[in-house]
Amino acid sequence: MMARLQILIAVLTLCAIIYIGNKVRKRVIELKYALVWFLVAFLLLIVDAFPQTIEKMSDFLGIVLPINMLMLFGFGFVLLILYTFTIVITNQDRRIKRLIQEVSILDYRIDELEKALKKEDIKVKKIKTKTADEGPEHKVKVKNKSENKKTMEEQS
Amino acid sequence: MKALVIIPAYNEAGNIIKTVEDIKTNAPSFDYVIINDCSKDDTMRLCERMKYNVVNMPLNSGIGAAVQCGYLYAKRYGYEYAVQVDGDGQHDATFLEEMLSIMEKEKMSMLIGSRFIENQGFQSSFFRRIGIRWFSCLILCFTGKVITDPTSGMRMVGRNVINFFAEEYPKDYPEPETAITLLELGYTIKEIPVRMKERKEGTSSISLKRSIYYMFKVTLACIMAGVGYSKYKKNDYEDKYYGGMDV
Repeated sequence: MMARLQILIAVLTLCAIIYIGNKVRKRVIELKYALVWFLVAFLLLIVDAFPQTIEKMSDFLGIVLPINMLMLFGFGFVLLILYTFTIVITNQDRRIKRLIQEVSILDYRIDELEKALKKEDIKVKKIKTKTADEGPEHKVKVKNKSENKKTMEEQS
Repeated sequence: MKALVIIPAYNEAGNIIKTVEDIKTNAPSFDYVIINDCSKDDTMRLCERMKYNVVNMPLNSGIGAAVQCGYLYAKRYGYEYAVQVDGDGQHDATFLEEMLSIMEKEKMSMLIGSRFIENQGFQSSFFRRIGIRWFSCLILCFTGKVITDPTSGMRMVGRNVINFFAEEYPKDYPEPETAITLLELGYTIKEIPVRMKERKEGTSSISLKRSIYYMFKVTLACIMAGVGYSKYKKNDYEDKYYGGMDV
């Protein structure tokens, strides 16, 4: 009974490692963020191979049922993984914010440049880049866009 | 001396023209920049039609990010002083010149326009005043300095603080928190009395529902800031990065 379960868990864990490894290979998951999953899988394999360690440790900690000890560890790991994600999200948040700011200032500088070029009568290709008019949530704006075009045509 | 007015605007089509014209007539020695935080109303179109100096953010990213974008602009274009004036027309531009002359004379790092020194003009609701008192107390506890109006958005800063804010600025509701941070870093803050008006159109970013979140978040942020910004050092933000781009 025990051996069957052990084999099942080992197979499943190996499958998970191969699956995640394949995802990393295909660049779906960044290796940096997959490391924590590999760590979990690795520890699971060790515990699976040597179940006595769990019993000894739960004896040592004074936990009556070894399964509770597993629960505790599992929960700890989930918290650890979530924690690393919180750090990742915060980091990304800051970087995205800075990117948005830099893009908006670049956009401003390009506008200024185009205005200056227009004064010098140098022709540049016009594109419509203003994102505020685009996207599904700004459907109302489509009308404004055509109005914009009209006023632009009138001006020229 | 180049001075910049930063006007963060989100859905302020009803107020923006009044605000900008107020600055143009009452504070002629200031340049201004509108930071349009991806408004869903006609703010952008209005600004373009009026040929205002406007920076459009490509995605909505909150008042803090918009104001920080203004400070980044001030840093890049080499402004000596920057002042924030909200796009909702609450702030009176007539005080800006006075603030600038005090800034230049007394050389402090930040000058706050306070509603509660002479208690004139729009005084905010009762509950908000309690909240503002609470933040004043927090600041007094952590820094030993009295700031009567820590939530005032009308704040003028010098070059070093512009550099600091361009790097480090909270995402939302930044005012009380940054006051503590600056004081902890050894910058000086002063206040002068100003009058503010009640907003005419649109809604405040702090609705009733959000007040609780606001109080909680800002209190926590103040405590964090008060416990110590060991990561930052004042010297890092002395003006050495950009000499300012040629405009």
